[in-house]
Amino acid sequence: MQIPVYLIDDFKTDRKGGSPPLPIYLRLLPILLYLTILASILLNAIFVVRLSQAGSSQEVALARDRSTQDELKKAKDSRTALEKEAKKASDILAWLDAARPLQPLVVAIARSIEPGSSILSLRLDRDAENPAQIRFSIRIASETPRQLDLTLAKIADLRFRAFSPQQTAEKGEFEYSATLIWLDARARDNAGTTEEAGS
Amino acid sequence: MNVRDILSVLNFSAFRPEEDDSTAVWRRRFPRHRSAIVSIGRGALSWRGILRNGQTADGEFLRGDPKELLGQVAQHVKDATDDGWCAVSLNTRYVISLETNLSRRPGSEELLKMNPRSVLGARYERGKRYAVTHSPETNSSILVACDEEQIRKHETMFREAGLKVGRYCCGAYILLRHALSQTNTTKGGEKPGSFFYVICSQGSVCALLQDEDRWMEVRSRTDVYDESIEPALELLAPFNQKVPAGAEIVLVCDSIFPEMVEGLGRLFPSHKLTDLTTPDLLSNLMVQN
Repeated sequence: MQIPVYLIDDFKTDRKGGSPPLPIYLRLLPILLYLTILASILLNAIFVVRLSQAGSSQEVALARDRSTQDELKKAKDSRTALEKEAKKASDILAWLDAARPLQPLVVAIARSIEPGSSILSLRLDRDAENPAQIRFSIRIASETPRQLDLTLAKIADLRFRAFSPQQTAEKGEFEYSATLIWLDARARDNAGTTEEAGS
Repeated sequence: MNVRDILSVLNFSAFRPEEDDSTAVWRRRFPRHRSAIVSIGRGALSWRGILRNGQTADGEFLRGDPKELLGQVAQHVKDATDDGWCAVSLNTRYVISLETNLSRRPGSEELLKMNPRSVLGARYERGKRYAVTHSPETNSSILVACDEEQIRKHETMFREAGLKVGRYCCGAYILLRHALSQTNTTKGGEKPGSFFYVICSQGSVCALLQDEDRWMEVRSRTDVYDESIEPALELLAPFNQKVPAGAEIVLVCDSIFPEMVEGLGRLFPSHKLTDLTTPDLLSNLMVQN
C-alpha cells in the first residue's frame, strides 16, 4: 500500500478571476526580448567603440596623409632643385660639347700669329638659335695684311667657311669679321656628291 | 491586456502560479519570497517566518484570543514577509472522520470543493468545507471537514490585519497524510504493517488505527491539551486495548514534542514507538507541498 505525497488541500475561499500560469514555453518571449535588448546594447557598445577607434584611426590617417604630402612636396622641391642642377650641368656639358670644336680654331688662330704681330681682340660668338654659325671678329696689329691672310688660311684649313666677311685696315691694325660655318666631313661628302652629279 | 500584465510577463511572474492559486505548491508560488506560516488554535496563535530559501525563521507563540493576538502580531508578520502573504494552519473547529464508500470517480476530489453534496451524499453537512484521502486498498476514506463560517471569519480577520492568506489548511490533517505516506511504502502484494498513528498539532490530537491495509478507527479532537498532555493521553488510552499486537506507534507532531513521546511510551509500553517528528515539521511540509 502506498499513499503518495500530495498537494495540501486548501480550504480558503477561492478568488474569482484567478488565472493559471502561462505555459512554460512562452518564457521564450521575454527571454528573447531580454536577449535582443542585451544584443542591441552589446552591438551599440561595439559600434561606439569601433566609431571612436575609427575616429582616432582617421585622425592618424589624416596626420599620416599630411606628413606624406609634406614629404612629397619636399621630394618634389628636391626634384625640382635637382632637375635645375641637372639642367645647369647639361647646359654646361652642352656648352663644353659645343665649345670643343672652337678650341682647335682658337689654337690655330693663336699659332698663326707670327712674330711682330699680335691679336688685339678676338671674339667668337655663337647664336643659341643657330649654333652652327660662329660670328667671328678679330683685330690684329700687324704691319702687313699677310698676317690676316695667314690666320684666315689656318681657319680655312680647319674647314671653316667664312660668309659675309668684312675687313677694315687702319694704321697697322686689321679688323676682320665674318660668320664661320664648319663644314664637317659628311657635309663635305654631300657637297662632293652634289658636284659629281652636276658634272 | 494592461501594463500590469505586460510587466508580469517581463518579470516572469505570469509563468508562476498566482499567490493564492491552491493548485500549486507553496514554493512555486513564492520563489525567493519571504512568507509566513500562521497556526491558529482556539486559544493560541503561533507564526513562523519562511525565508527566501524556504527555511523557517523565528516566530512567536502567544496564548489568548486569536483575533486579538493576530492584531498584535500582524505587523511582525508583515515585517517578516515580502508582501504579507501567509499560510494558515487551522487547529480548531474541524472534524476528521473515517468514511466508507465515498465516490472515487475521476475529478471527485475537485468536485468535493465545488459541490461536496454530489460526492458525499447523505454525509454532506451544510457549512463545511471538505478534503478527503482515500485508502488505495479498501473503500475507506479519511474525511476532514472544516467549518466554513470559521474560515470566512478568519479570512476577514486576516484581511483586516493587512495580511493575505495564500492557503488555509488543517495542520493535523497534513501531519496525518505525512505519516501515512511515510509509513505505507510497501509495493505490489506486500501486506503493509499495522500502525497506530498519533498526530499532535497545537493542542489538537488525531489518532488513526491501521490494521495492515485497513483503517479501523479515527478519533480526532481539537484543543485537547495545553500545558499538560494528560487530556491527550486520556483520549488515546482506549486504543490501548484496540491496537493489535506488533503494531507500531507512529507519532507525528508539528514540532518536537518530547513529553508526548514519553507519554506514549508509558501508554503503549509493549509497542514500538516511532517518532517521525522533525523540527518545524508542519512548517516544512506546508512549504514543500
